[in-house]
Amino acid sequence: MILGSLVITEAAVIGLVVATIQFATLLYLAALGETITERAGVLNLGVEGMMAIGAMAGYVAAVATGSPWIGLLVGGLAAGLLALVHAITAVALGADQVVSGLALTILGLGLANFLGAGYTNDARRALFTNINVPGISDIPWVGETVFSASPVTYVAVALGVLTWFVLSRTSIGLGLRAVGESASTADAAGHGVTAMRMSAVVIGGALAGFSGAYLSLDLVGHWSEGVTAGRGWIAVALVIFGAWKPGRVAAGALLFGFTIALRLRLQPFGISFSPILLSMLPYLLTVGVLVIISYRARNQPAPAPAGLGIAYRREER
Amino acid sequence: MVLARREHPTRGGQPLAFLVGLIFALVVGALLLWSSGDPVVDTYQRMWERSFGSADVISATFNRAVPLALAGLAVSIAAKMGLWNIGAEGQILFGATAAAGMARIGDSWPGPVLIVAMLLAAAVGGALWALGPALARAEIGVSEIITTLMLNEVALRVIRYLQNGAWKDKEGFGFPQITPRPPQAELGQIWQRAHLGVLIAVGVIMFFAWFMNRSVWGYELRIAGSSAKAATYVGISMRAKIMGVMLLSGAVAGFAGGIELTGTATRLNENISNGFGFAGIIVAALALMRPSGVLLVAVAFGGLQVGGLSIQSLGVSSAVASILQALILFGAIGAAVLSTYQIKLVDRKVAS
Repeated sequence: MILGSLVITEAAVIGLVVATIQFATLLYLAALGETITERAGVLNLGVEGMMAIGAMAGYVAAVATGSPWIGLLVGGLAAGLLALVHAITAVALGADQVVSGLALTILGLGLANFLGAGYTNDARRALFTNINVPGISDIPWVGETVFSASPVTYVAVALGVLTWFVLSRTSIGLGLRAVGESASTADAAGHGVTAMRMSAVVIGGALAGFSGAYLSLDLVGHWSEGVTAGRGWIAVALVIFGAWKPGRVAAGALLFGFTIALRLRLQPFGISFSPILLSMLPYLLTVGVLVIISYRARNQPAPAPAGLGIAYRREER
Repeated sequence: MVLARREHPTRGGQPLAFLVGLIFALVVGALLLWSSGDPVVDTYQRMWERSFGSADVISATFNRAVPLALAGLAVSIAAKMGLWNIGAEGQILFGATAAAGMARIGDSWPGPVLIVAMLLAAAVGGALWALGPALARAEIGVSEIITTLMLNEVALRVIRYLQNGAWKDKEGFGFPQITPRPPQAELGQIWQRAHLGVLIAVGVIMFFAWFMNRSVWGYELRIAGSSAKAATYVGISMRAKIMGVMLLSGAVAGFAGGIELTGTATRLNENISNGFGFAGIIVAALALMRPSGVLLVAVAFGGLQVGGLSIQSLGVSSAVASILQALILFGAIGAAVLSTYQIKLVDRKVAS
């Protein structure tokens, strides 16, 4: 499968690392949101649709105001609003989470394509510019890759640390996890299950929206139909791959980001491995990890929140 | 204010819920169209005229309903066992790929023989695509939701790979597309534009309506689906049931891919499924996993999709159809909840 000879140049390696960080940022924001949602016990398969809405709304707001930061916020807000639909149907009304989530993807993609139809091929740009700190960004290797990334990358890292802290070190996080493990126990302990779950779904949606806005305001740099290209599904996969833990999800994001980057950046290395076969890897890896998790779960507790996917109705307690 | 379960659920709830969902979708859709300056009445009128307005367009709607109905059936078969087949999309794609492979082998065979061979290959292909998730679920209890979902993306890339490599059309002027299927492998028309696949799909659905509800296998399935304990007690193998139901579900979805390739499409491509697998899940959910309901909802959704394509000439995005489909589901969920529950105004302190 590998044809040609391997040529390693500094530029090619740096290009690969930069692209890895870019794709990891994109995947991490959405996967972090889904992690929060799932830790509260709600599966939301609407990530792809929420990303699309975030990408569209983010782009439109950014070119209207000239500020990519406003675009990022509006993208998050729009996707959070969309996620509210899932919060109402799947949490408040107790409808099936799988069906509601998939319908959310269809709704999100549809809305983004409908509302953003006039902005396809729009030449206006209001993009994020990479951080450039004189001195630090000039350090060979590290400076060129890690310290001159997009500001959104640092936002993603900060949100990841914040999520880890809140989930594992605060009473709110404890409550959220309790709600995800056993809603009835958490309810009996005085946690508002419905409010907690709805908030987690909306926050998760907002993060998927940030991811989408990063796509249209940085990584790809424009809005068009199909710009999310199935990345939302990878984000869903990543949560499992990362065992529902913000830190491990980050590591997974780098790995999956690397496979995407590698696919686009193979040429500079003089390798011609089919990029299409390589693009199957994140999905197959996730299936593999799921199998391993389940295989191990026969002897040790599974990492998935015990109450994941189960609607909670108080009177059926 | 709390939701309290009604003592008696409203009768005929689901058709009513669908109707409420449809009205909800049309109202919200109208608001969306109006707010973006699109003509509301013209758009809806065009959608209706081009989907149910004449025999010609109704036949096109039927064609579109075929993959939706088969995908919906596939989902509802798995659901009988409490399993989620989110992979109908991938199974349709791989089923169509298998059918295209068969067409490459038998491109000189007479039409009817080739078509039968292609449809069988499609069903086997779909079942094969469900085999991994089925084994993982039956043997070690891996959730089929994510595994089937992941394989959708893989199936898409299998087609992309073939399209750029082994199956690339040598007469395509370098354009990455797969060689067209042989011309004789085309299902004939039975009424207006409707092809034979419509009749086949109705037959398949009627068969499964009987098979799932009246046969011994189907009866055992319902026991296994409602209680694993009861099933094991009466000697039903859960493993065998999980394998059987998932492979059957995959085969039905794959079969839809074969019908598409011999019915409406002329060559295998990435868009041959067009989201039918995902829409099929919505169709099945709206039909409460009943085969007869699947057929009706699929025709309604087929009409929406065909109508959605027709409004592009008015300058309105065809995405309206996707939006309406999702909104129908959300509206119906709300209505269904209200038909089983009622909102009671109570003093919060007393309630909790």
